[in-house]
Amino acid sequence: MLTLKSVHSYYGSLHVLKGVSLHVRQGEIVTLLGANGAGKTTTLKTISGLLRPRKGMIEFLGEDISRLGAEQIVQRGIAHVPEGRRVFSTLSVTANLELGAFARSDHKAVKKDLEDLQERFPILRERARQPAGTLSGGEQQVLAMARALMARPKLLLLDEPSMGLAPRLVKQVFEIIARLRETGATILLIEQNARVALKVADRGYVMETGSISLDGTAAELMDHNEVKRAYLGKGYQEVWE
Amino acid sequence: MTEYFLHLAIISSFYIILALSLNLIIGYCGQVSLGHAAFYGIGAYTSALITIHWGAPFLLGLVLAVLVAALFGLGLGIPTLRIRDDYLAIVTLGFGIIVDLVLLNLEVTGGPDGLTRIPPPDLFGLNFRFKGNYLTLVMFCVLAVLLLVYRLVHSRHGRALKAIRDHEVTARVMGINTAAYKIAIFTLSAGMAGLAGSLYAHYITFINPESFGLHTSILILTMVVLGGMGSILGSVVGAGILTILPEMLRRFADYQDLAYGGLLIAMLIWRPQGLLGVGKVSQKFILPKGKKGT
Amino acid sequence: MLLQQILNGLTAGSVYALVALGYTMIYGILGLINFAQGELYMAGAFAAVLLLSAYEVNFFLAFLFGMGVAALVGVTLERVAFRPLRGAHPLVPLISAIGASILMQSLALLLFGPTDRAFPVQFEFATVDVAGIPISTLQGAIFGSAVFFMTLLVLFVKYTRFGKAIMATAQDQDTARLMGINVDRMISLTFLIGSALSGAAGIMMAIYYNATYPRMGLLPGLKAFSAAILGGVGNIPGAIVGGLILGVAENLGAAYLSSGYKDAVAFAILIVVLLLRPRGLLGGRGH
Ligand SMILES: Nc1ncnc2c1ncn2[C@@H]1O[C@H](COP(=O)(O)OP(=O)(O)O)[C@@H](O)[C@H]1O
Ligand SMILES: [Mg+2]
Repeated sequence: MLTLKSVHSYYGSLHVLKGVSLHVRQGEIVTLLGANGAGKTTTLKTISGLLRPRKGMIEFLGEDISRLGAEQIVQRGIAHVPEGRRVFSTLSVTANLELGAFARSDHKAVKKDLEDLQERFPILRERARQPAGTLSGGEQQVLAMARALMARPKLLLLDEPSMGLAPRLVKQVFEIIARLRETGATILLIEQNARVALKVADRGYVMETGSISLDGTAAELMDHNEVKRAYLGKGYQEVWE
Repeated sequence: MTEYFLHLAIISSFYIILALSLNLIIGYCGQVSLGHAAFYGIGAYTSALITIHWGAPFLLGLVLAVLVAALFGLGLGIPTLRIRDDYLAIVTLGFGIIVDLVLLNLEVTGGPDGLTRIPPPDLFGLNFRFKGNYLTLVMFCVLAVLLLVYRLVHSRHGRALKAIRDHEVTARVMGINTAAYKIAIFTLSAGMAGLAGSLYAHYITFINPESFGLHTSILILTMVVLGGMGSILGSVVGAGILTILPEMLRRFADYQDLAYGGLLIAMLIWRPQGLLGVGKVSQKFILPKGKKGT
Repeated sequence: MLLQQILNGLTAGSVYALVALGYTMIYGILGLINFAQGELYMAGAFAAVLLLSAYEVNFFLAFLFGMGVAALVGVTLERVAFRPLRGAHPLVPLISAIGASILMQSLALLLFGPTDRAFPVQFEFATVDVAGIPISTLQGAIFGSAVFFMTLLVLFVKYTRFGKAIMATAQDQDTARLMGINVDRMISLTFLIGSALSGAAGIMMAIYYNATYPRMGLLPGLKAFSAAILGGVGNIPGAIVGGLILGVAENLGAAYLSSGYKDAVAFAILIVVLLLRPRGLLGGRGH
């Protein structure tokens, strides 16, 4: 479904992605692990078009999307839930959701999707008219994910959905991901919390200073010594079980 | 003809001092002022008034011009502690407009007609109606200001100022007294503009509020930005160009302002960092797409 | 007398508010003080006046035409003078806006000359007594139209797809793009709306003072800018409140202090307010 071939991205003159290659198949949940500053967020930004790669190819459903702008890529079916949620804080919860469907023109279906999501996540209905900025962190994360779902994406990019959330909420967020998985969603997931991520994912990649250093199935990675030492080490707080 | 060139050189010099002083605020403090001409005007009127009415010697006029302008700078420096960015821009703009209106409405400043028969400097028995002599005097002042700014920027204080400009909070954490520095810079900068004002008044010998309005504030700001914010040489070049360019455009008469506005935009598009700006890529440039980029 | 002054102030203030909305919206989305906003006001007035003097057109058509021309000029201005400078130091587009302002003023001077033009259509305005206060219907009409446009804008921003998209873009451009919002188009749309409002304000004042001239936008522009800042820049209700307060205050100041300082009052209030509330009355954003 999505294939990256030796992608290079820069911030100004800072070379951040140094030949990233990875792929995501239809219906898979793939996780991208790596230390802070490895370039995970940058990878997602490059896929969703916020950043234009200088070199390399990004193919989505058989089309090269590496030259497209972010607003065109959403229309191709990729929705990106950015790091730190980034809800539009002064706009109402409902307005946020509606904006998630900005690229769609099937207004009736949008309305129905909105109602479905409100059904699934009651908080979105309870707080419908409240400014999104007044929601708690966990609620904002739910909103950000629902907002992305409003685009009816074929591929969902999630950037650290559990960041800054209390363990109980982390659990909730991952329950949503697990549920999405049952509906056949395709997800590329970045997560600091490697153990949790590997539990929900089919496969994973490990990123180190701008390139992929390791890849395998979730089970393989879970067992891999390197991963164990670096990302599943002691002092890590178990929240999933 | 030489008279004319001397005249241009003298006028340029006033603007060099003004641009340098404003550059201290913008380029080294990261603050903006849209009312810098007010200090220029305060200096000019102070010096003119006390030499006309009290027959004070030029040198005393000059010193008082610097002091009074600096005092106003101190006054305007205080709000900068609380107000910043675009809010500060409008405060300085408002200050400039208020000073302009006061000069226009007070009796002692002669209202819209301003002050006439300002005596030329009485120094060393030289005749300062002779432009060559005046240029020498002005050049001496320009050099003094240049030296002062240069020494300041390259001193320990200069580094502190840069820290304030680039990251005020960090500067504060590093133990730099940002408040004191900001006020000091506003005071110093205003004093320098007052100096330019005094030199202008005694050169041109008649002044009115028109020379010190918003128009002039904007001109000085344009000189700084065009030359390159934070570049000393840039201010000198910017002031020179923008004094001489309108003169060159003068033969296009009616089209002068049109060309001026157009050229200004074109130059900025061509070199947004200014002619001699270091081309330091701004934060926003690295984050081209989001104001709140991580 | 006092009430009369307040009414005069509300009239002028509602027009400042209209221009201030343009400032605030453009600031909100670009972080740019559009110094050329007053020239858009002037462009709208000239367009309407010229059309009305040349042809026997309906007044409302000329009004819309004036707004349309101002909008077109505003959108062009953004393309030519601001878009190439995105990402530069914030003072750079500010100077560019000043350049554009000088350019447009001198262009108007060349094309139309320095003298005031009377408004080509004379209206029959009466003075009606409302609870003992004489109110000119002209003032009423101006205030009413300004309120009408402000309401329209607020409804647009709150309830339409594009209105929400503009607000989203103003808040977070990256995330707006992730929603499929074309940021450049939203910026153009913002300039279009903000400029059309300024154009409308210009036409109203051209009628009120019966004078249209190249520099007519200068002071209203600066005052609207102060109004936007006074209310908290980037804040739409703030711009409206700021404009009204400023209009009333300067009229009271002119009446009870000194008319020579009328223009100073607006700025003096602004400075005092900012000293007390550094982000404006209703709280704006900084960049
Ligand atoms: N907007 C930016 N401008 C400049 N450098 C950035 C920007 N965002 C990230 N970087 C740098 O790029 C590198 C990778 O960052 P990022 O992709 O955010 O890492 P991760 O998400 O893996 O923690 C880091 O060194 C970071 O400092
Ligand atoms: Mg990250």
